[in-house]
Amino acid sequence: MVDLGLFTQIVINGLLLGGIYVTIGVGFSLAFGVLEVVDFAVGEYVMVGAFMGAVLAPLFGAEGVFAIPIVLVVFFGVGALIQPLIHHVTTGDRPHPLLMGLVFTFGLATFLRGSVLTIFGPNNQDVPSSLLTGGVTVPGVGTFPVVRTVTAVFGVTALLVFMYYLYRTRGGMAIRAIAEDRTNARLMGININRYQSIAYGAYAALTGSAGVFIGMIFTANPGMGLQYTAFAFFMVVLAGMGYLPGVILAGIVLGLTQSFTAVYISGNLVLLVLFAIIYVVLLVSPAGILGKGEWAT
Amino acid sequence: MTRKHGDRRTFLKGVGGAATAVGLAGCAGLGGGSERDFFKLGAVTSLSGDLRFGGGVTQRGYDLWADTINREQGGIEIDGETYEVEIEYADAQSNPSAGADAASQMINDGADAVLGPYSSNVTLAVCPIMEQNSMPHITGSAESPQIWQEGYEYSFGTIPTVSIIGNEATSALLNLDPQPDSVYVTAVNEPFSVATGESMRAAAEEAGITVENYEEFPRDTDYTNVVSAAQDADPDLHLHGGHIGSHVNLVNAAEQLGYNPDGFLMHYGVNTGSYKDGAGAQGPYTFGATVWIPSVDRSGGALFDSPQAYADASEAAYGSAPDYTQAGSTAAGVVFQEAFKELGSAPPLTQDDKDELIGILEEIEVNTFYGDVAFETEGEYFHNNINTQTLLIQLGEDGSPSIVGPEEAATDEANYPVPAWDER
Repeated sequence: MVDLGLFTQIVINGLLLGGIYVTIGVGFSLAFGVLEVVDFAVGEYVMVGAFMGAVLAPLFGAEGVFAIPIVLVVFFGVGALIQPLIHHVTTGDRPHPLLMGLVFTFGLATFLRGSVLTIFGPNNQDVPSSLLTGGVTVPGVGTFPVVRTVTAVFGVTALLVFMYYLYRTRGGMAIRAIAEDRTNARLMGININRYQSIAYGAYAALTGSAGVFIGMIFTANPGMGLQYTAFAFFMVVLAGMGYLPGVILAGIVLGLTQSFTAVYISGNLVLLVLFAIIYVVLLVSPAGILGKGEWAT
Repeated sequence: MTRKHGDRRTFLKGVGGAATAVGLAGCAGLGGGSERDFFKLGAVTSLSGDLRFGGGVTQRGYDLWADTINREQGGIEIDGETYEVEIEYADAQSNPSAGADAASQMINDGADAVLGPYSSNVTLAVCPIMEQNSMPHITGSAESPQIWQEGYEYSFGTIPTVSIIGNEATSALLNLDPQPDSVYVTAVNEPFSVATGESMRAAAEEAGITVENYEEFPRDTDYTNVVSAAQDADPDLHLHGGHIGSHVNLVNAAEQLGYNPDGFLMHYGVNTGSYKDGAGAQGPYTFGATVWIPSVDRSGGALFDSPQAYADASEAAYGSAPDYTQAGSTAAGVVFQEAFKELGSAPPLTQDDKDELIGILEEIEVNTFYGDVAFETEGEYFHNNINTQTLLIQLGEDGSPSIVGPEEAATDEANYPVPAWDER
């Protein structure tokens, strides 16, 4: 007999966990769709964002939420500066541009992880928040942890904003044109470097601020990045490579699968089940669950 | 042209000669040679990877021993001569196979003895290498009972196995008033943490207390699901075996979901800076298990006069308070120091010396700041020091630990049941 109270709580946990993945998956999917870069540094952006939250929060009365606008701006700037370097190593006469991008971002990830480890040491760091504490209990439904709920709302809102920008503005049209055909976009007079920098900066900003939220939910640790890199890959495979609307569905599938497996099957089998799903999707529907992404090759 | 050839020949000869000289010098240095005026200890620990925090703790423990004995006593005295101690580190990379390679490297480099790794996983890979090469090895931080059940002749450990620490700390907690009726036990799926969780469960069952559930899960799991399942069972106490990151995630999820048992007991490391910094406002009131803290009443002895003297030395050297892993690591060095003295052989040690050292270690009783150290010579705890008393500790509001059990060792009253999250 399934305990209804526990069942609904597991649904809530799964959806909100999916919301956390959405905040990471949106930017990652955007970067792949527009720049055709599989960014291995995504998890390290999360980690650095979390550490920035830990450093900045005490300056704002131990409130990590107020660090987010600063992290957004700083990461946008850094992302806009890094993008030309990625563009440089993935274009021109270089063979295997996708591989070059992977190698470059892998190096970047190693550099970021090593730098944080050197500066802060291996200890966990709390990202405090007095605004986003505790949970809101809805009788008959379950408890909604405030910080996780706000994170999920942030992720979904960011997705909607990106989609509005991409499909309802001239800048978005330019970015889609670049994603479609870089050469023709250039011939149409689009400043490719500028829009690619905007896209990568936006991705970095979103991922870094997701890191602050994740730091508030869990903690900041120099070794946390790899886990989120893996989940970002899971997200884009399930969503369909570069297909933004699929990110929400991918987040929900990942979150619910993780929660239900942990509680009703075995916590030990969570990763096995997740990998099984990824393999099945890759075999049966390489363009993602909705079949609308680029083929995973 | 001729001159040029001549120059090239001279150059090649020079380079060849220099390379040979460097190579020979390197062999002499690394291999230890037949003449050496210092004791050379190899230390295998995790200086990178997930376990680097604990690896750093053990490194501080080993270094503090070596630095102190070299500075205060000029080294180890053998027949009126003093021989300094040098420790050479090899990175286990938080990985058992890398740990085994690192252990082999230490042996090939001519170590007189080896100080062991952080974590049971890596230690389980290192012990067979020590056995195959007849190399004396004391670990200052591994706690899994599996290590001692194997009956390795050349491996010893200063920290009691977690099946004792977890069991005794849980028993002390279960004796607090009001006595709990039920517990919920969770553990991260790795040897040390599983052994911890199982020892906690065993203690509860021995006390006749209902174990609502025992659940294992991977390290990077999302703890809201663990907490929701536990919350549904509504236990009086939550007992958890894992490392610091898992403790932090567990209490954070408990706070977010309003899960309020009368207390959380978690092992390992609630009195470390990493737990205090990582758990933040959720850290206070957590119960933990240890065998040593600076305020414990122990007599001191070889090298450090008291637990507090050791803590002061650590503060002075590293600016951080030591935990029991660091203390146990230093104690491992102190035990080697006393055993070397008893052996009475100058470095480098021969294989016969090393074999004789094992007999000395089996018989030795050393009074240290950490407690009295003596190793079991038979049974399931073979070569483990199980004499050091387990302490139940609780973190105060400022994150500092107090001894709250067992009754005969307690220095403070437990704050129990702990306040609910929204009452803190």
